[in-house]
Amino acid sequence: MAENGHLMRTEGLHLRFGGVIALSDVSVNVDRSEILAIIGPNGAGKSCLMNCMNGFYRSQQGRVFFGKQEITNLKPHKIAALGVARTFQGMQLFPGLTVIENLLTGRHSYMKTNALTDFFYRPWTHKQEMRERRKVEEIIDFLEIKNIRHRVVGALSYGLRKRIDLGRALAMGPKLLLMDEPMAGMNLEEKEDIARFVIDIREAMDIPVVIVEHDMQVVMDVADRIYVLNFGNVIAEGPPAEIKKNPEVIKAYLGEEQPT
Amino acid sequence: MSDNDHVQKNWGNLPEVLDQGVETLPQLLLFQARKFGDRVLHRKKDFGIWQRFTFNDVVEQVKTFALGLASLGVKRGDTVALVGENEPELFWGEYAAQALGAKCACLYPDLTAAQMVYLLEHSEAVAVICEDQEQVDKALEIEDKIPAVGHIIYWDDRGMWKYKHPKLLKFQEVQQMGREFGQTRSDYFETEVAQGQGDDIAVISYTSGTTGLPKGCIMTHFGLFDTVFRVTGAVPMRPFTQYLSYISPAWATEQMFGITMGLFLPLVVNFPEEPETVQENLREIGTEAVVFTPRQWESLASLVESKMMDAGPIRRAFFRWGMSVGRKVNLARLEGRTPSLLWRLIYPLADQAVLFPLRDNLGLQVAYYTVSGGSGMAPDVFRFFHTMGVKLRNIFGTTEMGLFTLHQGETYDLETVGKWMPVLPRLGPSLEFKLSDEGELLVKGGSGFAGYYKNPEATDKAMPDGWYHTGDSLNMTDKKEMVYLDRLGDMRQLSTGHSYPPQFIENRLRFSPFIKECMTIGDQDKPFVSAFINIDIGTLGPWAEQRRIGYTTFTDLSQNAKIRELIKGEIEKVNYFLPEGSKVKRFINLPKELDPDEDELTRSRKIRRKFLEGKYADFITAIYDGRTEFRAEVPVKYQDGRTGILSATVHVNDLGGEGK
Repeated sequence: MAENGHLMRTEGLHLRFGGVIALSDVSVNVDRSEILAIIGPNGAGKSCLMNCMNGFYRSQQGRVFFGKQEITNLKPHKIAALGVARTFQGMQLFPGLTVIENLLTGRHSYMKTNALTDFFYRPWTHKQEMRERRKVEEIIDFLEIKNIRHRVVGALSYGLRKRIDLGRALAMGPKLLLMDEPMAGMNLEEKEDIARFVIDIREAMDIPVVIVEHDMQVVMDVADRIYVLNFGNVIAEGPPAEIKKNPEVIKAYLGEEQPT
Repeated sequence: MSDNDHVQKNWGNLPEVLDQGVETLPQLLLFQARKFGDRVLHRKKDFGIWQRFTFNDVVEQVKTFALGLASLGVKRGDTVALVGENEPELFWGEYAAQALGAKCACLYPDLTAAQMVYLLEHSEAVAVICEDQEQVDKALEIEDKIPAVGHIIYWDDRGMWKYKHPKLLKFQEVQQMGREFGQTRSDYFETEVAQGQGDDIAVISYTSGTTGLPKGCIMTHFGLFDTVFRVTGAVPMRPFTQYLSYISPAWATEQMFGITMGLFLPLVVNFPEEPETVQENLREIGTEAVVFTPRQWESLASLVESKMMDAGPIRRAFFRWGMSVGRKVNLARLEGRTPSLLWRLIYPLADQAVLFPLRDNLGLQVAYYTVSGGSGMAPDVFRFFHTMGVKLRNIFGTTEMGLFTLHQGETYDLETVGKWMPVLPRLGPSLEFKLSDEGELLVKGGSGFAGYYKNPEATDKAMPDGWYHTGDSLNMTDKKEMVYLDRLGDMRQLSTGHSYPPQFIENRLRFSPFIKECMTIGDQDKPFVSAFINIDIGTLGPWAEQRRIGYTTFTDLSQNAKIRELIKGEIEKVNYFLPEGSKVKRFINLPKELDPDEDELTRSRKIRRKFLEGKYADFITAIYDGRTEFRAEVPVKYQDGRTGILSATVHVNDLGGEGK
């Protein structure tokens, strides 16, 4: 793990799309056991930061560390294999597969057999199936989706599909979970469910969570620490109670009072 | 076949257990474990796989937990409360508490914290075993109000990883304490179990208490054994039948089935994964025996109905065809008739194409022992399941005296709650019953009524004279089947002192396709029961046309001799189930339809009794002064708001030559 106890760390990230500066000199760190929220107004660069963390975007300047290892220029699937899982704003599930099958895709990196041995269903394939299914079942149990395990994902409600998406990220057995707007478009009850799962993931599975979210109520309730981004800059950092009172944050969200 | 032969055959060698000195549930568990050690007793789906617990496993779980409880100070005579969904740990917790000579109080998992306070206080619980966070939160919330509860034990730790409380213990922690406790006391468990006696209190079962506080009904070990012998004596069950435990053990019926019969026969008791997955689980385990409440059967039936509504027209047509064949064959057999050859030839086809897949989808394809527990469900729901080939039976009884009646044999009347069950002679005399003057069912026999816990007044009130007063009104048909009429409080008294069940009569009459509405008449000034009938012109109109019966208006049709004869037949069918004094003796077909616009019905289409008694006072007079027809004048309101007088000759009809 990282020398200073941080699980993930970015140093001076700069990200530009042509003339648009998405991130400028963004340095954040994620502790080994915390729920970290990244908030900010629309277009502040929250998702960009998350994309840099798991390698979707390559920043022009700056470095990203996961533990002691620098992952700045690694491909996303390599970063995922290191134990960084993420859920997406738009869901990337296989709508034609069942819940179990979707979750099993999250176990893909743990499967050692190839298509040919699987076709002949050798004993080790059987063993592997048993092992992976068990892992998936633990997640099904955790996310309380036992009653839909054989249902096709495409037929499920939006809130449930989000939960499956989370389940697949968990199936990877991550060391760090990145969640991009997990509660967008959900009703209150679904939000409460997800909020509870986020807390449980940290408490029961001991996985730190980084969450990008618009819903301030939820963020204030679940997060241990918050970064506030505005126009690609980190304008504040601290526990929810402090952030609520921070004048910079209020300004970013509510705008400035015009001098009369 | 005499009653005695029947009894011998069904019980087989079950009573032998009692010869070996087994008197309590934990003794039974140990006894059966010696016999069936490696066979499966409990199964629970965990992580997508049915986990098996053999008799030996269960004994080990129960033993370590019991020793753990003992190390926490639980001793003979204490009470241990249990609250949660049906899970193996709940059953093990109960057996463990009983092994120490403690009694159990099972609470419904949906009780509020405030309701739990009273039950925990009243039962004097020293420990409460909870399923999960939901129950633990409630117990912790009321912790200061229940100082006697020294320990709160839970088995599902989800969400409670950070909980810290001096009274809080995990099920497995208690078992670990038990193992340590047992190291120095090698035969503590066996000695404690051996001390149990059949008359010890096994369970305090709290009645829901619609009026006043719940009453804690005492159930002894012998009492539970007694009921198991009654049920197996009435309808035999195979050993190691796959049973799905779904009704709550807080309800006495599951104490009798899953907990007691599970050990006796024994059954393979399967626990559903979650309440939401019952449907799926039923199918996976190939359920052979299941007991549901009427409500649960009804929702299963409506599930089929609603799924079929969603199906396409071809499937729907197949479904209707299959069900109509099922009705012709299965219902005829149920009524003891032989269906005609044609239907019998078509039946295998309908079964393969529709009925078997239907049963299969409901998970009832091999279910041979399906029971609805309670005071009767609408016969239509029973018929629905029989049509598809599920031989659903009703069981009726009380928490206080055990189960009484069950649909027995291959032919039985679905309008009834079944025939009386036999009692194993060594556990008590046969069940006897009588009907009080008010029509209340009084019962004695079997292992008897052990009383309400700490409530001698209520005990005396329920059993003042050696008979247990059920508070229910029943009647017996010619075929010795019992008909449930009503709660006693809902009965109405006649001037003769006899009470009759108005709701029962009206509900059954409304089942007739020819009767749209009806109202029974008869109170303390009237010597017999009579009825107003509002015929259903929607079905009677075509019926009359098919038979070339001419009519002009509703009034004309209602007074037609053929129609009156038909309605008379419908009432006679209902009269069959009623005791003599409750039978409907006279009736009038109302000459106009009851109408909410005229305040005769409420907007939700319930009859307004008082209003009708006033408006149709001369009809009532005519019924009770013995006229057979009279000139009636009824005010009516037309749709355009005008009012008028409907004038017609109305016939008063007699049934069975009664009246005057």
